[in-house]
Amino acid sequence: MKRYIQIYKECIRVAFAAASTYRMNFFLNSVIMLLGDILLPLVTILIYGSGAGFEGWNVYEVLLIQSVFTMAMAIADMSFHGIMWATMGAVREGNFEMFLLMPVDTMFLLMAKTFSIDAIGLFLGGAAIFIISLTQIGMPSLLMWLQFLAMFLVGLMVMMGIALMMAATSFKWVGNSRIPEIFDSLRSFGKYPQSIFPKTVLVITSSIIPVAMIGFFPAAALMGRGSYLMFAAIIPCIVFLLLGIILYRSMVRLYQGVGG
Amino acid sequence: MGTIIKVEHLIKQYDTYKRGSGLKESVKSFFHREKVPVMAVNDISFTVEEGDIIGILGPNGAGKSTTIKMLTGTLYPTSGTIDVMGYNPTKNRKAYVQQIGAVFGQKSQLIWDIPPIDGFRMNKAIYGVTDQDYQERIDVMSKLFGVEDYITRPTRVLSLGERMKCEFIMAMLHQPKVVFLDEPTIGLDVIAKQRIREFIREMNKRGTTFILTTHDLEDVEQLAKNVVIINHGEKVFDDSIDSLRKVLGAKKIVQLVLQKPCEDLDIEGASIVERESELNITVSVDLEVVSITDFMAKLSKKCDFYDISIKEMPMETIITHIYQRKKESL
Repeated sequence: MKRYIQIYKECIRVAFAAASTYRMNFFLNSVIMLLGDILLPLVTILIYGSGAGFEGWNVYEVLLIQSVFTMAMAIADMSFHGIMWATMGAVREGNFEMFLLMPVDTMFLLMAKTFSIDAIGLFLGGAAIFIISLTQIGMPSLLMWLQFLAMFLVGLMVMMGIALMMAATSFKWVGNSRIPEIFDSLRSFGKYPQSIFPKTVLVITSSIIPVAMIGFFPAAALMGRGSYLMFAAIIPCIVFLLLGIILYRSMVRLYQGVGG
Repeated sequence: MGTIIKVEHLIKQYDTYKRGSGLKESVKSFFHREKVPVMAVNDISFTVEEGDIIGILGPNGAGKSTTIKMLTGTLYPTSGTIDVMGYNPTKNRKAYVQQIGAVFGQKSQLIWDIPPIDGFRMNKAIYGVTDQDYQERIDVMSKLFGVEDYITRPTRVLSLGERMKCEFIMAMLHQPKVVFLDEPTIGLDVIAKQRIREFIREMNKRGTTFILTTHDLEDVEQLAKNVVIINHGEKVFDDSIDSLRKVLGAKKIVQLVLQKPCEDLDIEGASIVERESELNITVSVDLEVVSITDFMAKLSKKCDFYDISIKEMPMETIITHIYQRKKESL
């Protein structure tokens, strides 16, 4: 465990060193990511400004859901989303053996080595909207905060599961760079109040591909609007992550490399 | 010193897809692709003794890299067994790779945007090398390679030779017992190659076993004690480098620069292999038929020459002969 912490620390140090090498690229990336993801709350404000909205939810509640989603995305981008692109690239170019040669868990190493601070701007943007929304909604109780933190962590598990499943597919379908876009679309269901969706969609987003846990459920917990479904969804979320891990580990065996 | 690597009946077969060229074939391949099995490695067995340097030779696509990858545990064999230091490389991978090192000439462990020294620190953490050992090893290897000046410069500004030296340091930081080298001198200039060969020799003296695949026969001639030659996935030779030289019999190559053209060069046991010009002639001398002394005596009676040089049979010729012999036997 100590070795793994040490490796992660080294990877964070390297990520900062790389970011400082290309400072302009880092600033531009941070700003572009922030602008790209901040559009969603702006659209929400526009919708509510025009008199429309999501039934049963005021603008700050929706913004809170979306800010939680944005922060979860930012953390995922910084800490483990890199495994998707790194695996796809390494498999296509035949460099994956360089990771297999290391005496540590390959999955962990890929996540650690692709640690990136580019999404820091996105996280700060999400955090700013989160604070603004929360001040308008009212301060949650300690229990609500604890529930929020637990749900938020479980939401990150779902995102990790998705990333691992996506990465795993590249061992079979080399160069499948568009598949993540399908999951990006599915993940988007997590940024809206789930009550606006039909029941079938709700079942899917809370138990089959539990993306509701990424933004909606943690925010609902913080607002005290959680339901039994929220707690029941924890199990499929954990199963989802486990499936991602199992799939990735088993697909690694399919790695064939490229001609020498 | 015992056997450190034992490979038995190693086979690697994989499927690839056949596709013709042109638009029609491209469209057709969307709906139907013909699967073609490829036998990359076919029933290869060999052993390596501890402290040895073994060269794995073969033309492009022979199966050298596939064999190395299976030995490092990064590719799963279709069948056969591999035993390296008592480990099966495909099982207990983490414990196994802790004991080995690898340098792939066309792949890098270095981190492009930051200096090699930061990459070394990363490997220090990954392999759990102590601070003291790390510093000692960096000092020793940096001096051996003469890289002290540039390990603090960003990797991207280093030359290929400088990067390759750093790759070796990276691979040797944890003091592996066995090191796999896949084309380690590819693309390097003569001086860089020589430096790397010296480093390999030095590390070998300190007890590291090296398994080397290369196209550069000089690598093998200068470093390897034993050679395995692979062609079309099959082993065609497995013996010492001295035995390899004797494959074509005890022969020497004599290069002559004559003073004037000589018509009659018929000497028993000697045959002309190349006539660059009327005055520049290369002759192969079979030492089982005629000794070099007798050959020289007979030659000086027939013609006058400015210069003469006697060489070993070129390795390329021997290997080409081995490939052809195998091809003819099929």
